[in-house]
Amino acid sequence: MRKISVLALLAVFVVTGFAAGAMAEDVIKVGYLAALTGDWAAYGQTELNAAKLAVAEINAKGGVLGKQIQLFPYDFRTRPEDAVNAFRRMAENDKVVAVVGANGSGINIATAPLANRYGIPQIGTVSTNLLVTVNDQGELNPFMFRTCFTDPYQGQLIAAFTAKELKKNTAAVLYDVGSDYAQGLREFFMKYYEEYGGKVVADQGFRAGTDVDFRAQLTTIRDSKAEVLVLPNMGKEMALIMKQARELGMNDIIFVGGDGYGEFMWEIAGDAMENSYWINHVAPEDPAMADFFANYKKTYNDECKEFVNGILAYDSIYWLADAIERAGKVDSTAIRDALRNTKNLQLHHALMSIDPETHNPIDKTGVVLVAKDGRAQFYTKIQP
Amino acid sequence: METLLQQVINGLSLGSVYALIAVGYSLVYSILLFSNFAHGGFLVIGGYICYYTLAAVGNNIWIASLLALLGAGVSAVVVERVAYKPIRERTNVTLYLLIASMGMSIVIENIFVVTVGGRFRALPPVIPTNPVNVFGMATTSAFDILSLVMAIVFLSGLQLFLSKTKWGLAIRAASYDLRTAGLMGVNVNKLISIVFFVAGLLAAVGGIFLSVRYTLYPQLGLITIKAFVAAVIGGLGSLPGAVVGSLILGLAEMLTAGFISSQMRDIVVFGLLVLTLLWRPTGLFGKHVAEKI
Repeated sequence: MRKISVLALLAVFVVTGFAAGAMAEDVIKVGYLAALTGDWAAYGQTELNAAKLAVAEINAKGGVLGKQIQLFPYDFRTRPEDAVNAFRRMAENDKVVAVVGANGSGINIATAPLANRYGIPQIGTVSTNLLVTVNDQGELNPFMFRTCFTDPYQGQLIAAFTAKELKKNTAAVLYDVGSDYAQGLREFFMKYYEEYGGKVVADQGFRAGTDVDFRAQLTTIRDSKAEVLVLPNMGKEMALIMKQARELGMNDIIFVGGDGYGEFMWEIAGDAMENSYWINHVAPEDPAMADFFANYKKTYNDECKEFVNGILAYDSIYWLADAIERAGKVDSTAIRDALRNTKNLQLHHALMSIDPETHNPIDKTGVVLVAKDGRAQFYTKIQP
Repeated sequence: METLLQQVINGLSLGSVYALIAVGYSLVYSILLFSNFAHGGFLVIGGYICYYTLAAVGNNIWIASLLALLGAGVSAVVVERVAYKPIRERTNVTLYLLIASMGMSIVIENIFVVTVGGRFRALPPVIPTNPVNVFGMATTSAFDILSLVMAIVFLSGLQLFLSKTKWGLAIRAASYDLRTAGLMGVNVNKLISIVFFVAGLLAAVGGIFLSVRYTLYPQLGLITIKAFVAAVIGGLGSLPGAVVGSLILGLAEMLTAGFISSQMRDIVVFGLLVLTLLWRPTGLFGKHVAEKI
């Protein structure tokens, strides 16, 4: 079965390859790295659909520099080694000028050396780890970009929201000691929260995967009289923590989390989820995104459930199109420079400016979701 | 003081669930002298039966629990018949039983991974979890009190069964010497089935409480490692030992996490195990020195 699908996929690529060759130079070739199969298939398929939508819209308006954009999608099957192979094909066979995707930091860290070697700019969609755009020696990966904000920045947004929006000056943190993501968010939350005048009164850890009982930590947090409990984690532990906190009678403490929010948490935490706040990249109810959701539904006859991936993929294409326009020519290095010099570009979901030193978005607007009536709703937009 | 009381209550409620599981380990160990690592599997079976019955009969926790208890008990008997009986009839080296039980635990876990999938499931809120104030000094959830009460009820029931009934007498006799009990006319196979049924039933009680509290997933059985440690600390084969060991462990975990550091709790738990084995290799209530594997 797998063999057949791989063959079919290859056949598709060969055919699209020929078609591309026939059209020669009047198209702009853009690669798209998506997880169409494997664990992240749901995210990857949404991303590719959203990207195709953006390409169709741009092409319908006359394309970029008078040329049509042509997308070359590749499936990396949620595996870094397949992503590396796909990148090689895009660079050597398809001769793309830029690559959009993937939606995971690990994948982009794997493809970064190739992007640098071939000199082809790559834009990660939801790749939040710092090491996507800089290597572990702290040197810039000159061809790597991202549309999302980074983990440390997210920690800062949580701090800004807690201190400035909620106006709460005592907070507790309960984080997963085994996760880089949670450690990073916690560190930067604590740093900025103190800067904004807040005080972290309890700093507790747990281990995801083995710990399921958090009452000991929660009791300590309750005694610390924290007004807010920050949960910079991923996964079901956050749901269990909220549930157990309410069971311990901690009815007034406010939960604030990052982009680890998941729909499944309602099933576990139930009413304990109500009135919790979640910092995220985008919101489904953001009025600026209404057209996108409507078009997505019309085109694919399906709700855009993985909206974070969908929106970021969609706007990544628009960002790239804008960069090509500003570069004035279809040349990878010129596009890279244009991406790098992005200033106050109004994308659908946020205002985009890039720090040329790190290639990370600067002061990007974050979205706060509030959990209300059994679902996450748009609460406000936020900047530090 | 209030914090201490709170953490003690937390510890007792965690320990009581450990106790339900640890007793199952000890019960099987007392008869067959091996640690049945498939025990966690019975717990998961109980949890899933409860979950699907709740979905089918519309949140009737009584029917669901009854079916879960019976189902887990019966599957424990089946596991014994399929995996352990052929071995114990051929050899009296308990190491083979131990290895077979590890195999069975992997089999059971993967049956659930393959059939119902690895994702975790939340049981509907059939057991009340609202906060309850204890003498104005501490807060616990109704659920914790209920799990403590249920643990006491089931453990007392087990004690009554063992001390007042004929089969209980036979089990106690067999725990001294299975072979002699057999020679005295006790139907050993039937006795072992009863022991497994009871162990499976208790595991299901633990399984229901664990899955309501911590969600249900095929690897939930791994939590029994702590219960096993508790059984060893108390002395494998000793039922009071299993209960005392579980309470010690539950308290140690909560007090460590609450007053020292939440990252230290596993170090303390397994440190306690090592210390116990160094000082009293048979555990606190252990009766005889035998191979503990």
